[in-house]
Amino acid sequence: MIISRRATLAGAAIAAASAGLPGLARAQSKQAVVGTWGGDYGELLRQNIDVPMMQPQGIEILQDVANADPRKTKMLAERQARRGTMDVSCLSDTDMNMMAAQNTLETLDTSRLKRAGTIVQALRKPYAIPHIYSALVLLYNPDKVTTPPTSFADMWDPKYRGRVGFSDILYSTNTFAAAMAGGGGFSDYKPGQAKLMELRSLDAKVYPSNEALAAALKGEEVWMTPMWLARGFMWQKASIPLRHVVPSEGAYAIVFEAGIPKNSRSKDQAYAYLDAMLQPQAQTAFADRMGYLPTVTDATLPPEIAKQISLTEAEQARLRAPDYDYLLRAHGEILDFWNKQFKA
Amino acid sequence: MAALVLPAGILVLLLLVAPLLLLFRISLNLFSPTEMMVEATTAANYFQAVQDPYYRQVLLTTLAVALGSTLLTLGLGFPAAYWLARMQGRAKSFFTILVIFPLLVGNVVRAAGWLALLGNGGAINAALLGLGIVAAPLPLLYNTGAVVAGIVAVVLPYMILTLSAVIEGIPRQAEEAAANLGAKPLAVFRRVVLPLALPGVVAGCVLVFVLCMNTYASAVLLGGPQFKMMAPAVYDQFVRGNNWPFGAALAFILLGFTLVLTVAGSAVLSRRYRR
Repeated sequence: MIISRRATLAGAAIAAASAGLPGLARAQSKQAVVGTWGGDYGELLRQNIDVPMMQPQGIEILQDVANADPRKTKMLAERQARRGTMDVSCLSDTDMNMMAAQNTLETLDTSRLKRAGTIVQALRKPYAIPHIYSALVLLYNPDKVTTPPTSFADMWDPKYRGRVGFSDILYSTNTFAAAMAGGGGFSDYKPGQAKLMELRSLDAKVYPSNEALAAALKGEEVWMTPMWLARGFMWQKASIPLRHVVPSEGAYAIVFEAGIPKNSRSKDQAYAYLDAMLQPQAQTAFADRMGYLPTVTDATLPPEIAKQISLTEAEQARLRAPDYDYLLRAHGEILDFWNKQFKA
Repeated sequence: MAALVLPAGILVLLLLVAPLLLLFRISLNLFSPTEMMVEATTAANYFQAVQDPYYRQVLLTTLAVALGSTLLTLGLGFPAAYWLARMQGRAKSFFTILVIFPLLVGNVVRAAGWLALLGNGGAINAALLGLGIVAAPLPLLYNTGAVVAGIVAVVLPYMILTLSAVIEGIPRQAEEAAANLGAKPLAVFRRVVLPLALPGVVAGCVLVFVLCMNTYASAVLLGGPQFKMMAPAVYDQFVRGNNWPFGAALAFILLGFTLVLTVAGSAVLSRRYRR
């Protein structure tokens, strides 16, 4: 067979046209790609930010929906590329710190963020804005666990053999809870290993996802789990019998943040998006539906919700961010132990 | 004539060979928690994987599940393929479509179906509990059995279609002649049908075995967090651990084992029945 000149030209034309098309589309209307979780988080972004706040500015938001791990992998894979595929990336504080350490994130120019001044002081970072936050608590079923627990250590009570459940994806915070119960700390998860093995012999159960764990809590298969307060709030709303306690050993904060990848192609739109995420009405919407706390000083919560999801002043004072540098170095070991020893 | 393979060849070169070479290069690098990847030329990741009892166990589980599922699929698929191959007319088209039908549903969706069936609150347990046959839900999910069931349901159509295409080519008269000469049905199957269908058996088994070795969705969703096969272990290293070099090494070990076993397996089978 001979490839004719005409066929070659036609093929080249099609290739050129299709390669040029995405660029053309971007040029016509202002667009930004936001890397986010799906489910409630993505939906709330759409309802409270993408449509009511960005559309009037003539900015079309495209959500790139995935879990945090694939999003991190994508950022790492693209970090050498001149033009990235994401303009805003949403991640937890620990993950965001890891991505900043890998040099994938823009240092934010606060003069381009109108709302920068309203961010809670303790949550400010050079590479990301805080979007919402919550605390790690111990959730328990009050019908089954009749003496309310006070600490992570209560999970090791032989009374609760086979009734402690873990979400597999929260291996790091699960190990943290065990470490705290074993006398470790924010910068020392080592004691968690022996404690986890102890809990393993007490038939602790591991569920593949938060949703599977929720189903097990609902079916009263397990009665206790370390979890984000906000998740506990959502699950209570879904009529799963649950109460929470901020464990006496320590209060671990989780902040969900948003940053701009260095190779974003629409930085102006990305800054506008971060600004919108900090607007009080968007912040309250997340509190109302998902139970996360606002990260700006001027967002007020309806008292009913505030009562359920807020921390007392004493709890708030004990709240601490994880030791990011320690986690960056120890992450591999924590994951290996969780997979190879605890779950084996 | 060579130009005919050019488009496919270029595609394979760009989308398969080039990434594989890149992946191989990555597998020779070293991991660093702070820098992620440090340029190096070392086989350390391969040694680490082979020396670690955990990954040896993961590989063994993968081999056992893949081999078991392939044999089970062959056992279930052969009679169905034979029946389909000997069918005539409209019924044949109807049943062929029926065999293809499960392929229209993605693996994840299919696994979700199994979850709804086998879960503690799933259909089977709900029925057993409702009828008072059991007092507590049976642990049907998150074990090897559930994974094998999930995999077999995925790969069975491939086996049936491959086998029936070959069996169709075996003339009916060959079987009739053997029966005429006094062979019992089992002897006809063993001495006539099976040897003639062997190319199909080999092709079907290779296809199915490769798919089984690379199982991801069924292993993760039906095996649960404690069950590990190679593909999820590779994903874990890349995506959860950010350890690309080690993940790449695991991927090549999986690729190597799959390649060696399929080549060796088909060679042994073909030689055995050629005699």
